[in-house]
Amino acid sequence: MPNQSIITFKDVVKEYDDQPILNHVDFEIEKGKFYTLLGPSGCGKTTILRLIAGFTDATSGEIYLDGKKVNDIPANKRKVNTVFQDYALFPHMNVFDNVAFGLSIKKMAQQKIVEKVKEVLKMVQLSGYENREISEMSGGQRQRVAIARALANEPEVLLLDEPLSALDLKLRTEMQYELRALQRRLGITFIFVTHDQEEALAMSDEIFVINKGHIVQSGTPVDIYDEPINRFVADFIGESNIVKGNMMDDYRVKFVGKEFECVDAGMRENEAVEIVLRPEDLEITAVEKGKLKVKVDTQLFRGVHYEIVCSDTDQNEWVIHSTKKAKIGAEVGLYFNPEDIHVMRFNETEEEFDARLEAYEEE
Amino acid sequence: MTTKKSKLFYFIPYSMWILLFVIAPILLIIYQSFFDVSGHFTFANYQTYFSSGTYLQMTISSVWYAFLITLFTFLVSYPTAYLLSKTKHKQLWLLLIILPTWINLLLKAYAFIGIFSSNGNVNGFLEFIGIGSKQILFTDVSFLFVATYIEIPFMILPIFNAVEEINPSYISASTDLGANAWQTFRRVIFPLTLNGVKSGVQAVFIPSLSLFMLTRLIGGNRVITLGTAIEQHFLVTQNWGMGSTIGVVLIAAMVIIMLLTGEKKKRGRKMK
Amino acid sequence: MKKTGLKWSNLYLILVFAILYIPIFYLIYYSFNEGGTMNSFTGFTWDHYKEVFSDTRLLVIVLDTLLVALLSSLIATFIGTMGALGIYYTKKRPMRNALLSVNNVLMVSPDVIIGASFLVFFTFLGIGLGFGSVLMSHVAFSIPIVVLMVLPKLKEMNDSMISAAHDLGANNWQVLSRVILPTILPGILAGYFMAFTYSLDDFAVTFFVTGNGFSTLSVEIYSRARQGVSLSINALSALMFVFALTLVIGYYFIMQHNINKKKKQRKLAEIEAVKMR
Repeated sequence: MPNQSIITFKDVVKEYDDQPILNHVDFEIEKGKFYTLLGPSGCGKTTILRLIAGFTDATSGEIYLDGKKVNDIPANKRKVNTVFQDYALFPHMNVFDNVAFGLSIKKMAQQKIVEKVKEVLKMVQLSGYENREISEMSGGQRQRVAIARALANEPEVLLLDEPLSALDLKLRTEMQYELRALQRRLGITFIFVTHDQEEALAMSDEIFVINKGHIVQSGTPVDIYDEPINRFVADFIGESNIVKGNMMDDYRVKFVGKEFECVDAGMRENEAVEIVLRPEDLEITAVEKGKLKVKVDTQLFRGVHYEIVCSDTDQNEWVIHSTKKAKIGAEVGLYFNPEDIHVMRFNETEEEFDARLEAYEEE
Repeated sequence: MTTKKSKLFYFIPYSMWILLFVIAPILLIIYQSFFDVSGHFTFANYQTYFSSGTYLQMTISSVWYAFLITLFTFLVSYPTAYLLSKTKHKQLWLLLIILPTWINLLLKAYAFIGIFSSNGNVNGFLEFIGIGSKQILFTDVSFLFVATYIEIPFMILPIFNAVEEINPSYISASTDLGANAWQTFRRVIFPLTLNGVKSGVQAVFIPSLSLFMLTRLIGGNRVITLGTAIEQHFLVTQNWGMGSTIGVVLIAAMVIIMLLTGEKKKRGRKMK
Repeated sequence: MKKTGLKWSNLYLILVFAILYIPIFYLIYYSFNEGGTMNSFTGFTWDHYKEVFSDTRLLVIVLDTLLVALLSSLIATFIGTMGALGIYYTKKRPMRNALLSVNNVLMVSPDVIIGASFLVFFTFLGIGLGFGSVLMSHVAFSIPIVVLMVLPKLKEMNDSMISAAHDLGANNWQVLSRVILPTILPGILAGYFMAFTYSLDDFAVTFFVTGNGFSTLSVEIYSRARQGVSLSINALSALMFVFALTLVIGYYFIMQHNINKKKKQRKLAEIEAVKMR
């Protein structure tokens, strides 16, 4: 199979004032996919973006762009373009001049520039806005100008640094759809940085979950949501009920003093583990039908569902999303399926995790 | 409402100041410009000004010198301001640029008298390298040098502020879009610092038009600016009418400069 | 390649700094010269400093200069702060802009014009030239500086803070003295400081409006400098340099104290921007 990866990081380390920001990061990014770097602020996701763009140099390690090592190639010579968090639209130029900036640097003929600007503005649905000043544009429009400006240069990779964070909720959702559609249409690689897990889940082909300068887990949104590798990922992506447990045997796990059937395997006998149960996978039933017995503590109406907080006899808290109302103070049963139980080992790396999954799934 | 009353209260001393020390003096100097030495109403001052070769020539040379001072100041200050903004501890360096302005102007002028005098250090140096002693003090060059020296900090500051205000992501964006360092400077940084340059020009050009003690101490009265002329008429020949006339001309020049370099109200540019 | 570029830029900066400071150190250097000229250094002496301190006329002038500076900046700070509050409360934009333009007239006017027009003004009103006229002039040209220092602080102020104070039962005076003034205090202090240095530094305006028998340091130096070289002026310059240095350092610490680290940079820049006319 030909090497499809357009960006490769090999053992990249980045330090600021001797403080490690990125710790031996390795990854490959394939052509034509929508990637999201997801993590809390300060985790190093923006640093990865800046390393790709060339705004900052790696302390050690190698960065390859389209098969070529680019560590020493300055930003203006790299075929990647960036959409900045604050858009960084030049305030002394109008929309046309902003979008045409990269093209005029390349000394493209004026006629061609006009055509190209028209084309990309149409792509972001801003046809006819050429002569507007940046200050006359709304936040959402500026966002589109910034995207158009980056796209005008026909980059192979578009880097987006939390570009939606300044928009209100409705506009943000709209732009999520548009960005996704744009990426499919153009077929180029998008690398999107965000701390918003919903955004990441909704838009990406692949998500890299990053924490403290490490890539903690990578995979498709569904994989990451369904099989979080550890407590951090489970907590960061979606809401989770996390309790301590022990792996009794393959496909047998014990928590809250009871043994349950599950779908995980390949661990040591009686290994201490953590169990994730997603709130939407829990179902409230009668006490005798439930696998767990809990008491309803509080309840909030969230619009699409009720958020019901219960506690068991071990004082574990259980959050349940249900369309049905519960009665506060009532004793109820919780029902869940074996595949809803996600077992996480302590300190398991992504490689070990993948290897284990492969091993027992092949059986 | 009560705030109305307190607002009025705040305004009493302030508006007194505006009336007495801003509006009244300007009106008075315009009024005064229509009187001759013996106190008769006349247009003669303006007639003299606009028909006499001496005054017109003085105005032109005054503007010319102010232009040169501004130009040299700009040429020295822009790189300084730009490079300063790239240094570590830039606030401290900036403070050190400003410090000389807190030393009395006359003292600095006085120092240059010593440095430039016929047996001063510069001449000593010239002699040492074999050029030989030259008359430096009381020449146009020395006047321009000292005037530029004095104005440099006033030009550096606004430019430095303008450079500092540039959002660093504009520079990243420009590089990202393929521009090299020079293209980024020419197409992004310089245009964005233009307002700083304009206020620097304002801060230097207008005072340069009216410098007067430097012309005497350093220029040896070879250079006569509008400022010198006003001082002469008011304090030496006591011809206040003529002095005021030149003052009115200077005020007019000032207004023109302000309009030329003032921030043009670009459509909603400052709007957030 | 990059390294040498950096070196050239450092060299350039060093050169600029050298030019800026040479005259000042030149003066200080010769203030210790035993010989009476600024040409050749013949030996070290404190004589010129002794001369300064035995020159009672000069000492009186120094005190007068300080007195004018202290008083004028105090009065200007008072009036200027009120003016800034007035402008702040003016909600109509055209009126506000007009006020700001008028405020800036004296900031941009050449000293000669200010001096000449004040001279005409005082003569017209029959006010004698001397301490009074100099003081009034210094107050007059310091007010706009104070306004420009205080206004940004007012604009930065959170409007709902005032509403909150009213809501909690404070009357207008209490809101002013316990909420607004403490908030804008750094601006007021900076304004006072700027006004003080402006007054100390002024030559042209004082030169026009002073009469016989009253003189400030700059005017005195001007007249002495014209008569020829006297090293006691050098000694005086050295003393003033030390004084200015102390002021700058003091000012720097006030600013650092008042403004948290992040804002410091911006503020300083603003203040300095106002210092230039």
